[in-house]
Amino acid sequence: MIGLWDTTGNEVVKALAAERRSAGGVASGLALSLIAVVEERKVREAEAAATIAAAAHPCRVLIVVRSDLDGRSRLDAEIVVGGRLGPAEAVVMRMYGRLALHAESVVMPLLAPDVPVVTWWHSEPPETIANDFLGIVADRRITDSAQAADPVAALKRRAEDYAPGDTDLTWTRITLWRTLVAGAFDTTEETVVGATIVAPPSDPTAALMAGWLAARLGITPVLEPTDQWPRMRSVQLQCANGDCVTVTREEGTALFSRTGQEDRYMPLPRRPVGDELAEELRRLDPDQIYSEALGALAGIKHLESRPPQRVHIWRDPAQAQRAEAPVGAYAGPGGRAV
Amino acid sequence: MGNPLRTAQDRRLPRIPEPCALVIFGVTGDLSRKKLIPAVYDLANRGLLPPGFVVLGFARRDWGDGDFESLAYAAAKKGARTPWREEVWQRLASQFVFVPGSFDDDAAFDHLHDTLNDLRDRNGIAGNVAFYFSIPPAAFPLVLKQLARTGMADNAKSGGWRRVVVEKPFGNDLASAMELNQLVDSVFTPQDVFRIDHYLGKETVQNILALRFANNLFEPTWNSKYVDSVQITMAEDVGIGTRAGFYDAAGAARDVLQNHLLQLLALVAMEEPTSFDPNEIRAEKLKVLKAVALPKDIELGSVRGQYLAGWVAGERAVGYLEEANIPPDSTTETYVAVELHIQNRRWAGVPFYVRCGKRMPRRVTEIAVLFKKAPHLPFNPADVEMLGNNQLVIRVQPDEGVVLKFGSKVPGTAMEVRDIAMDFQYGEAFTESSPEAYERLVLDVLIGDRTLFPDAAEVEQSWRVVDPLEDAWKGTTPEPYRSGEWGPRAADELLAREGRTWRRA
Repeated sequence: MIGLWDTTGNEVVKALAAERRSAGGVASGLALSLIAVVEERKVREAEAAATIAAAAHPCRVLIVVRSDLDGRSRLDAEIVVGGRLGPAEAVVMRMYGRLALHAESVVMPLLAPDVPVVTWWHSEPPETIANDFLGIVADRRITDSAQAADPVAALKRRAEDYAPGDTDLTWTRITLWRTLVAGAFDTTEETVVGATIVAPPSDPTAALMAGWLAARLGITPVLEPTDQWPRMRSVQLQCANGDCVTVTREEGTALFSRTGQEDRYMPLPRRPVGDELAEELRRLDPDQIYSEALGALAGIKHLESRPPQRVHIWRDPAQAQRAEAPVGAYAGPGGRAV
Repeated sequence: MGNPLRTAQDRRLPRIPEPCALVIFGVTGDLSRKKLIPAVYDLANRGLLPPGFVVLGFARRDWGDGDFESLAYAAAKKGARTPWREEVWQRLASQFVFVPGSFDDDAAFDHLHDTLNDLRDRNGIAGNVAFYFSIPPAAFPLVLKQLARTGMADNAKSGGWRRVVVEKPFGNDLASAMELNQLVDSVFTPQDVFRIDHYLGKETVQNILALRFANNLFEPTWNSKYVDSVQITMAEDVGIGTRAGFYDAAGAARDVLQNHLLQLLALVAMEEPTSFDPNEIRAEKLKVLKAVALPKDIELGSVRGQYLAGWVAGERAVGYLEEANIPPDSTTETYVAVELHIQNRRWAGVPFYVRCGKRMPRRVTEIAVLFKKAPHLPFNPADVEMLGNNQLVIRVQPDEGVVLKFGSKVPGTAMEVRDIAMDFQYGEAFTESSPEAYERLVLDVLIGDRTLFPDAAEVEQSWRVVDPLEDAWKGTTPEPYRSGEWGPRAADELLAREGRTWRRA
C-alpha cells in the first residue's frame, strides 16, 4: 500500500503504475473500472464490498471521498494492489475543497483503458445524476435508494432522472424474491388477477416489487402497510381460479405456500452488499425489466426509450446553498431531508 | 402461454427446474458422497432448486431416513463449495427419503414406485423424476429392467418427465456401448437419457466454444494453413487409487481417451454450429468425430506406457504392477499417446497429438494449438534461435485459463527475439469459484438442457476410434516409464520423428 498526502493526480497515476509493476502479474486482466462515491465513514465498507464483487469481476476500484467543500483544495490518495483487496486494485482518493467538485479530473486518467466504467454511489443517491460528472463517464450507474432519508421518494426521483444503464440496489435486493415468485408460475397456466404485498410503508423494495408485478402482469398490486416487520414481509398472488401463492419472509428463509400443496421452505438469505454489487456488475447493458418496474412505480412510461447518454449540468453547491432549499423530502448530497 | 413473470430480457432470474425428485441409485457410493450430495447442497444453497425438491436414496442398507440423512450431512458438509448454512441443510434434509433394497428385489422397487406416486400427490411434483445411476455398469440392466417393469421410466404413465443419468464408462467397446445405449433408450426415451462426461461441465471447456465462436481473432487462423499441430494432454499425478479392478480391465484409453479427450478434441476441431441448440452442437461434434483418422500403422503412431515405481511430488510411488489387486503380469496401459488426424478440409495434414497418463509430474489438462512458424524471418538466424511456435494454450485444469505465447524483442541494443507468454487466468480474471462440474450438470439434467451431454451416437463414434487401437495393442506390452516422468521415451520419439516435441505442460 502506498499513501500519498497532499498530492496531485499525476502522482497517483504514477504510484498506481509502480504498485502494479511491483505486485507482478496480479490483476492483469481487468473487466471494468468501478468508481465508488462514498462518505468517509463508509470507505472500509465499500472496500469490503468491492473485494467481494471483484472476485467475480476483476476491476479497478476508484473510491472517491468528497468532504469539506469549503476548505482548501487538496488530494490525499491511498493505493492498494492485491493483498487485502484480493484480486482487485484500488485507489482511495480523498478530495477536499473546490477539487472535490472536479473529482473527474483525478479519476479520468485512472480509468483502465477501453473497459466499461461503472459508478456506484454508496451514499445517499444524487438528486440529479447529470450534476455529477462521475455519473456521466459511467456506462452503468448504481444507486442505493435505501440510503436516502425517504427511500420511496428517492426511487421515484430515480424514475424521473432515469437513463438506460441506471439501476438501484433496492432492485438487486428483490432478485431472490422475484425468483421465488416467478418460479411459482413455471408450471401453471393460471392468470394472476391480484397481488398483495405486506411491507413497511417506507420499504423501497416493496414499492419496486409492486412496480414489477404491475408492469409484468398488468394488475394493480395492493400494498398493505405494516409496522411489525422492518422489511418486506410477504408477497401474495391471487389466481383467477381462486388459488393463492404466498411467499413470506422468515429469518433467512422464505415460506412458500400454495393452495392445495404443502408449505415449503426456500432459502432467502440476506446478502452482503458485495454480492449485490457483483450481481449488478454481471450485466453491463441496460436492465429493461428494471426500467419497466421503476416506470410502473412512478407512473412514468417509456423510460427505456430515453437517451442513454447524459449531458453534464454544472451545479455549484456554493451557489445552491444560498438559493432556496429544494422542495420535497430529499435535498441532494450533503443536504438534509426535511 | 409462457410464464408472464419471465422474459428473456430478465437475466437476473436464474433457471430453476420444475418441481421434481432426484433418485440416486448407489447413494452410499463414492461418487454420490463426494460429488452428488455436495452438488445438491450447493444448488439448494444458491436457491436453484425448486420448492418441493426431493432426494430419494436407494441402496442396499438396512437404514431409516435418519441414517441416510447423517451420511448425507457428513458428505455435504465435507464437499460443499458454498458456505455452510445449517438452515438450508435442515430444509433440504427434511426432503430426503431412503429406500432400502437390492437391485433384484422387486418389493423394493414397488416401494420406490409407491413412494414416487405418493410424492406426486403430496408435493406437487407432477411426476417429474430424474434417476441417477451411480452404480457399476454391470448393475445397469438389472435396474433398468426393474424401472421398466414398474413403469417408473414411462413419461406418459407418470404424467411428468422421467430422465436417467448415466455415468461413464458407457460400455467397454463399441458392441457393449451399443447394447447399453439400446437398453437405456428403450426403457427411457432417447432424449431423456443424460450421459455425464463431467469434463463438459467445466467452465473452461465451455469457454472453448466462446473463445472460438464469439471472437473474430482466432477463427481465421484455426485451420491447417496456420496450425502446425495440436497437443491435447491430460496428466494425473495420482495412481489408480482404489479402482484396481475397473482400471486393470479398462486401461487409460478406455478410461479417459474414449470420453474426455475425444470430447475435448471434438470441441477444438468442430465446425461452427448453426446455433447453440444442443442438437446443432452435437451434430457438429459427431461430424468431427466421424472424421477422426487413426495412424496408418498403429504400432508406430501410438505409444502405450505403464508406470514403474518412482517419486511424485516428493512422495514415493509404487509401480503399477505392485499396486494392490493388480496381477503382476498385467499389460494394462496407464499412459497413452496417439497421433490422430482429422479428415476434412480444415484439418488435413495437421496432427492431433493426444496423450493421457497417470503418475505424471503434475496434474494438468490442457489443449495447445501450435501455430506454424512465420514463413519468412527477416532477422539474423542467431537472434531468433529462441523463437518457437506461436501457441494458444487452453488450460482446462488446474489454473483454468488461456495462454498466448508469441515472440517479443528482448530489451537491449540487439534485435533479439524470444518467446513470452501472455497469461489469462480464468481464476484471476474471474476468481469467483466457478461451480463444480457436477453442480452445473445436475442442474442441467433437472432443467432438461442437453447441451453438455454427449448422446449415444457420439459415444458410439468415440468407441469406433478407440476399438481399433485396442485391437492393435492386443498382446503387446506397454513401455515402462518411471513415476514422475512425462511418459515413456517412445512418446518423445513419436513426435521427434516429425521434428516436434511435446510441450512441457
